Amino acid sequence: MNVDKRKQLNGYHVVFLIQNIMIGTGMLSLPQDLSSMGYSLALYPLLFGVVASLNLWPMIWICSQYKNENIFGINEKLLGKWIGKSFNLFIVVHLTFFIAGIIDDYMNLIQTTALPEQSTTIPILFFLVVAIYIVNGGIKSIARFCMMAFFLTLPLLYFLRWAIEKGDLSHLLPLFNFNKSEAFEAFRKGYLSILGYELIMVYFPYIANQKKAYKHALIGVWISIILCFVVTTVSVMYYSEWQLEHVTYSVLHLFKAGELTYIERIDIIGITIWVFLVLTTITGYLWCAKKGIDSFRSKKKISHVYVITIAIYIILSMPFSKEVKEKIFEAAFQTSYLMLCWPIFLIVVHLLRKKQVQS
Amino acid sequence: MNKKLILLILTIICLAGCADKELKVPLEDVGLLGILAFDYIDEDSYKLSAAMPQFLPEAKENTQIFSVTTDFVSKGIVEIETVSDKKVVLNQLRVVVFNEEFARNGDVQKVIRHLYRNAEVGNKVLVAIVKENGEEILKESYPDKPSINLYLNDLLQPSINTAFMPNTNIHDFVYTQTNPVFDTIVPLLEKQEGKIEIDGVALFKKDNMIEELLPREGLIIQALLGEKNLAPLNLTLDKGEEKEELMIDLIKNKVKMKSNKSIESPKLFINLKMEGTLIEYKGYREDELTTLASITKLEKDIDEQIEKDIEELLEDLKELKVDPVGLTENFRMYYKGNWDREMTEKIISKLEVDIKVTTRINSTGTLD
Repeated sequence: MNVDKRKQLNGYHVVFLIQNIMIGTGMLSLPQDLSSMGYSLALYPLLFGVVASLNLWPMIWICSQYKNENIFGINEKLLGKWIGKSFNLFIVVHLTFFIAGIIDDYMNLIQTTALPEQSTTIPILFFLVVAIYIVNGGIKSIARFCMMAFFLTLPLLYFLRWAIEKGDLSHLLPLFNFNKSEAFEAFRKGYLSILGYELIMVYFPYIANQKKAYKHALIGVWISIILCFVVTTVSVMYYSEWQLEHVTYSVLHLFKAGELTYIERIDIIGITIWVFLVLTTITGYLWCAKKGIDSFRSKKKISHVYVITIAIYIILSMPFSKEVKEKIFEAAFQTSYLMLCWPIFLIVVHLLRKKQVQS
Repeated sequence: MNKKLILLILTIICLAGCADKELKVPLEDVGLLGILAFDYIDEDSYKLSAAMPQFLPEAKENTQIFSVTTDFVSKGIVEIETVSDKKVVLNQLRVVVFNEEFARNGDVQKVIRHLYRNAEVGNKVLVAIVKENGEEILKESYPDKPSINLYLNDLLQPSINTAFMPNTNIHDFVYTQTNPVFDTIVPLLEKQEGKIEIDGVALFKKDNMIEELLPREGLIIQALLGEKNLAPLNLTLDKGEEKEELMIDLIKNKVKMKSNKSIESPKLFINLKMEGTLIEYKGYREDELTTLASITKLEKDIDEQIEKDIEELLEDLKELKVDPVGLTENFRMYYKGNWDREMTEKIISKLEVDIKVTTRINSTGTLD
């Protein structure tokens, strides 16, 4: 039995939480996001991995200074009650829009491929209900769901087989055939696809073995990165540069290359199983947003989840034009970079105000 | 808590009543188009013919054929819907054929891209070119075949026995069209009395067909592409005193290419290794082919002949400035910067090749 009720995440939980929240809809369009690099994009996820590993370190360091506080608590402690709380509110709003953006993305995909004759209202509702159900079980239930999702979706890798058979390995050459502006463009568009590891700042206090948290988080990050690397490499082998740039959801088209006599459309299986990956991402963010409201109102209430979910639903069903929606979600995605850099800022404040805070 | 959950679920269920009734078409009323044929009329319009299987036992014919004149694929489909008794969908589309005139003058790429974009259409749709008229191929009766849908699809499926087979689906087509180092090749069909024959290979340059290749040349291209399963190779050796003819069943095919990485004076070394069984032979050496030494000598003669054939083909391609094999990929691999179509043409027009073929005859059957 755990002595401290809050310390409920063991090493495996951390690995899979990190790994599975990172993979959502972003991976489906990763080759397209990176397409400004041409064929050289295959190796790019590895660079993402290095950046993410470096980026993780300040997050874990600042959290390990305040072992029982999550990022919202640390904000309040370091920045004072009012600035801290208002920034926390900002994070919650950001997370809400972020989740809405992911769901919108996935529902668009479902609409264009699997359910072209249906509106997505009902699927969104069911999706949110399942998400609430998982989130209500707490972070441990999310972690367990992540594990399940990982092993359920892993077999999809087998469907890449035909694309590898047909593909041409020579596309990978010449290595590093790009210039600075292309690389920057690809980084800006593509890095968003591997977001998700920053949530460790919220569930850090729940980790049992905090000393090893960095190691476990790194394992999680690199599992995701390797999966991304496999996907981009196979895409580069299978597509021409034009196709990389213009085929949306190119990963699904990779599944389409498949030839099984008894299944006609493997890509449909791919998208529907992908719901697990999207769900893990959504539930992770939803849980964190809930924690944000908890700390904002200084009390824990289950109804906070419902508030956020309803907000998400309202955002999704707002009668905005598609262009406005895209812009809002794009802004929400870009704000995530602030979240990534935030711990560095906190470290600076921490070093300056160390004595004040501790006294 | 439980009460709230029940309330929530109840609300959702009740709310579902507010949704518009969705129109679902029962399966019997769905018409699954199997083949689309495009015939050239002029620059802006074409004739679109479609074959749809008919399941009703009362009907005399088992395939319905529709033809409309249109300038848009989807517009044509909608028009077909107005004359059809069913809801027309493309989910089971298997074959798209263009007539030769369309391939030479029309915008093939636009049609294919429309299908490639459509999420309903799978990637396994095969592309073919027909001589003369596509509509006639659909309308022709094939008394000994179950239906044109099945027949044409099976004919175009890759199989080792179908002579040579540059089996091209819509992904391959878009891939070779958009990849600057490749030119598209598509099987060329010809209608004959009660049957369809694969007559050769249609060779594309950029967007349009420019040349018709013979099956033999198609086979060589397949071999150079590194295809594992090749059709039997028919050779005529006219070196020496008498003409010899032979047939080899190819078991193994391995190709290695190495370029000198130079853009200015490109040179390519091609090493082709083939392994096969000699199935038939006609010529003056018939009685000698029992010893290993004579077979080795025959192997050498075959090597020379194939080398000569490949050289001739590459010379032709060089004149047309096309590259269906993707030979220039071996130069692109080592070139930093953007590679475009002009580069490919520049390389191919200056390309020098050094071909080495090694054939190995594994057996000549069980008769000595």
